[in-house]
Amino acid sequence: MTGPVVHDVHTLPSDDNVHEYAFSVALDGQWFLQKGKMIAYYGRIDFHGIGYGPLDLLISRSFHSPLHAADWVVAEGRGKMLLADRAFDVNSYDLDEGNLTIRSGNLLAFQPSLSLKQSIIPGFLTLIGTGKFVAASNGPVVFVEPPIRVDPQALVGWADCPSPCHHYDHRYLRGFLGEVRARTGLGGASGEEHQFEFVGAGTVLLQSTEQLMPELATGATVTEEGVPGGGVPAPQSGSQPPQLPGGIGGLQRRFGL
Amino acid sequence: MRGPGALGLPRGAPADYGRGVAQFRLQGSKVLAVDMAGDAVKAKNGAMVAYDGRMTFKKKTGGGEGLRGLVTRRLTGEQMAVMEVTGKGTCYFADRASEINLVELRGEKLYVEASNLLCTDAALRTGTTFTGLRGAAQGNGLFTTTVEGRGQAAITSDGPAVVLRVTREYPLQVDPGAYVAHTGDLKQHFQSGVNLGTFLGEGSGEAFQIRFEGEGLVYVQPSERNTLGGDL
Repeated sequence: MTGPVVHDVHTLPSDDNVHEYAFSVALDGQWFLQKGKMIAYYGRIDFHGIGYGPLDLLISRSFHSPLHAADWVVAEGRGKMLLADRAFDVNSYDLDEGNLTIRSGNLLAFQPSLSLKQSIIPGFLTLIGTGKFVAASNGPVVFVEPPIRVDPQALVGWADCPSPCHHYDHRYLRGFLGEVRARTGLGGASGEEHQFEFVGAGTVLLQSTEQLMPELATGATVTEEGVPGGGVPAPQSGSQPPQLPGGIGGLQRRFGL
Repeated sequence: MRGPGALGLPRGAPADYGRGVAQFRLQGSKVLAVDMAGDAVKAKNGAMVAYDGRMTFKKKTGGGEGLRGLVTRRLTGEQMAVMEVTGKGTCYFADRASEINLVELRGEKLYVEASNLLCTDAALRTGTTFTGLRGAAQGNGLFTTTVEGRGQAAITSDGPAVVLRVTREYPLQVDPGAYVAHTGDLKQHFQSGVNLGTFLGEGSGEAFQIRFEGEGLVYVQPSERNTLGGDL
């Protein structure tokens, strides 16, 4: 019997996957990471919450999503750090003067040379700049080019596409059967009447499952005119504690409620 | 254990025939196949999924550790429902499609949660030990299971485990929710990064870690259980 592969601080890869489900970061400086995605580390690494503190400058440069502040931390120091997320596939991506929008629950970590912003699409985050980031997906990621229509649950994110929009199967909605089904819920639906549509140049990232990763409802947007989805709580999957309305939902979680 | 004669083995077989010869191998990554020739293994109750040959399954009370073990397990809450499988042929074990990791023990001690222990060679001794705050932080109770001796053991994890070596120069910090097991001569400290900020709502989410020092191996799973301190 050949024993399992044993890793130590020297044999762990630098900024690469250990296996499909774990990623090793060679930290020398700072990285942003989502809370609770670090599983182990060698060396001296401190974790700072995002808020007032010595990292003010860094945060003012690279972190522009106050709603997600409760979910992110800055890892600072030197060492090797292992990241993983619920045994989902983990991969790193490089952005070069680009932009990429990703479902907030799928993003695990990113270099501070990137800047994180809330997308105007609720529940998504946009990364802008140059650098590396790590994202999880349920099953391997498939890259496709627009024009394409994708299932909302299978969408992980997209890069450089300016026009993600909803697409409804109009003929189905208009048809007699569709009408009856839509109004009464009788007869069942195919479940494919609604897609996201992408056109233009860019890349769309899909995961090979329609099962959404249970995520913390970090995507709630502020109630304000002109903000899509404003005031409508993001759909929650899994059992989540009830959140306070408005943008202070994260506050509850900060106190561990 | 019964003698070799009772199992219909050749008369001239040595007294320790059938001890520790059970061969563990992985069938894929989620099924454990154990080839047995009249010897026995201890396995999690109900973990058998298939077998060929002749097998007998016997429920062992209290982890098969005798009266003292039974009482200890009851008291510590580190309950372990174990069966002893004896026979000739191949027996297949699996547990909720979780990944299985083989651990070869050469006299060292394996520390693992009872719920993550799938199968051990019958020659290995199991017991219960106090873990202190680490167990409490994992939400697994204050006690853990030890496996000791020479032979093979199979442990389960959520996603394939990463095996990390700890040396004196390079201690390792592990998130309590991702810890599965460890072997070797390791000291564990409970490390807390809780400061004023945690209570002001600026917790880092990584406030608690277990720090391993010494020489040994730590098994970490690419997934986190819900832990008491997980959100701080």
